Amino acid sequence: MAADFSREGMTKLLGKYGIRVAEEGIARSPKEAAAFARKFGYPVVLKIVSDEIIHKSDAGCVKTNIVNEHDLLSAYAVIMRNAGKARVQGMLVQKMARKGLELIVGGKKDPQFGPLILFGIGGIFVEVFRDVSLRVCPITKADALEMMDEIKGAPLLKGVRGTVPVDREKLAQLLVSVSKMLYENQGICELDLNPVIAYADGYLTVDVRVIRCATEVAQLSPKAI
Amino acid sequence: MYDLKPIFEPKSVAIIGAAREPGKIGNVIVRNFVDSGFTGEIYPVNPNATEVDGLKCYKSVLAIPKKVDSAVIAIPARLVPQALEECGRKGVRGVVVISGGFAEVGNYELEAQLATIAKKYGMAVVGPNCLGVVNPSAKVDSIFLPTYKMGRPKVGGVAFIMQSGAVGSTILDLIAREGFGISKFVSYGNAAVVDETDLLEYLAKDKQTRIIILYIEGVKRGKEFFKATKKLAKIKPIVAIKAGTTEVGASAAKSHTGSLAGNYAAYHALFRQNRVIEARTLDEVFDFAKIFETQPHCTGKRVAIITNGGGMGVLTTDAVIENGMELAEFTEETRAKVKETMPLTVNARNPLDLTGDADASRYEAALNLAYGDPTVDAIIVITLFQTVSLDSRVVDVVVKAAGKGEKPLITIALGGEYTEMQRRALESSGVPSYASPSAAAKSLAKLIEYSRFTAKAKKR
Repeated sequence: MAADFSREGMTKLLGKYGIRVAEEGIARSPKEAAAFARKFGYPVVLKIVSDEIIHKSDAGCVKTNIVNEHDLLSAYAVIMRNAGKARVQGMLVQKMARKGLELIVGGKKDPQFGPLILFGIGGIFVEVFRDVSLRVCPITKADALEMMDEIKGAPLLKGVRGTVPVDREKLAQLLVSVSKMLYENQGICELDLNPVIAYADGYLTVDVRVIRCATEVAQLSPKAI
Repeated sequence: MYDLKPIFEPKSVAIIGAAREPGKIGNVIVRNFVDSGFTGEIYPVNPNATEVDGLKCYKSVLAIPKKVDSAVIAIPARLVPQALEECGRKGVRGVVVISGGFAEVGNYELEAQLATIAKKYGMAVVGPNCLGVVNPSAKVDSIFLPTYKMGRPKVGGVAFIMQSGAVGSTILDLIAREGFGISKFVSYGNAAVVDETDLLEYLAKDKQTRIIILYIEGVKRGKEFFKATKKLAKIKPIVAIKAGTTEVGASAAKSHTGSLAGNYAAYHALFRQNRVIEARTLDEVFDFAKIFETQPHCTGKRVAIITNGGGMGVLTTDAVIENGMELAEFTEETRAKVKETMPLTVNARNPLDLTGDADASRYEAALNLAYGDPTVDAIIVITLFQTVSLDSRVVDVVVKAAGKGEKPLITIALGGEYTEMQRRALESSGVPSYASPSAAAKSLAKLIEYSRFTAKAKKR
């Protein structure tokens, strides 16, 4: 059975493991986009859905902090214009996340050891700072807490200079859940949940990127291991 | 699961490819078995000889009239399958295949034949393309390097599992020089049958082995290796060094995680997760091995530094703090005793600087205070042998103090030939001696970290 790793399929899979993703929907028209925005409540973010546009922000195909319907319709038009001749599948409407600490939770299938899970400081500079910790799946809650303590940015999680500490318990649970998902879905080759925005009372996964294994070789089912 | 006992502790051994000409590999192996004082039977095998080094030589392993526990094979690759098959028919339980010319040069099929034959007879096979094993207590030595070119270590508690023969033999030579002992040594080459996970399982149960050193370029069975290290690191410290940590060529990763989680990153994660102590250099392998072999576990991190030079005390303090440990405070009683018994030039604080005119008796008094002080968990003794009053007598004092075994004691001695001589004397008496404060502090930190882990694992 080929797993459904489309954006919607992935959101559903994450939901199955209790992983919270920002409310979102894919609109095919400005009208549909406005309907989603009304349902989620403003402010929202618009982001193009297209295989042909890799760096969406750079292409001017992402608009954030849209506060009302008027702004939404004009942003929709601008994004479509910027997309030019690229093939477009639709427009992602996402409830704008509150400001918080941007983290990354990732996964990678290692040829020797199977799925690995990654945790670290997220956002757009993740590969600059490379402040991450890694474990072989499946992990326990104790492993998850250790992963959080291990990064250089660990004090950020505990709150520095007036910022509130993030919810470590819920983040640990998130890591354990992602580890379980990676372990049970061995067709996932690479996974980025980036950013995962952490708050004092929980977290929100804002963006998901998944790369399917090129050859889904006959995997041992996790139960057989 | 193969029984590795016949490989490490055979009562009789056949050397297939035994040669008469000195300098040939097949001759060096026979010679090493004879010279090391192996007490079991040695059966040279060579169809073209009747005698090798005074021992009766057999046409094949099947021609040997008595039982054969193990065999060492050192013949051209293409002839190995037949010899191995004969070993199986003879009932040999363990074989070391020294010969190269298999998977490492693309001969995968030839190597697969070895695995098939081993499986058929349930026979443990180490190699091919390896140095084989050394077990000094059983006088087993299959290494084809002559003893006059490469030293052999004495009996001790460190076991070495080496994927590379070149690194393995260099390390053996260095250990022999450094004067600390080994329990078992194995260079396992291509791991066609027996791999690092099998060897870990065996050595974790081996009573002589107190610490396992693992040199790997890549493991054969990742998932089994993960499970084995998770289980075994609780039983014995495992120090691992992974070669090939740099990524060659651009990564094909499409995600951030993909590019951050390369091959070495996976090993590093596994080591951390399972409490395998990772060494990043060969120097660290030695640094860590000697403290784990000789010193007691220690969960406290308050260190006393005793020195005869102020500056070296400061450098060591920095290294101790940088490695996550603390300086012991000393009790009132200790401080009062220092004032009472030591010259006025000695300040009653940590690092305890005994000053440049300190002799062995002052060190002895300081060591007694440090051992008796409940605020001290571990002791670092700096001995600068360049001073007039320090000589081999301080070595005796330190060795005697360390012999109590209650708290870890390590030493730092930097210097030229005279110092080097004293440092060796300390090491061969079981007191780890380091040539730099950072190496000493890092090694002590690893010991404490591991001690805390096992203490916690026991409580669970």
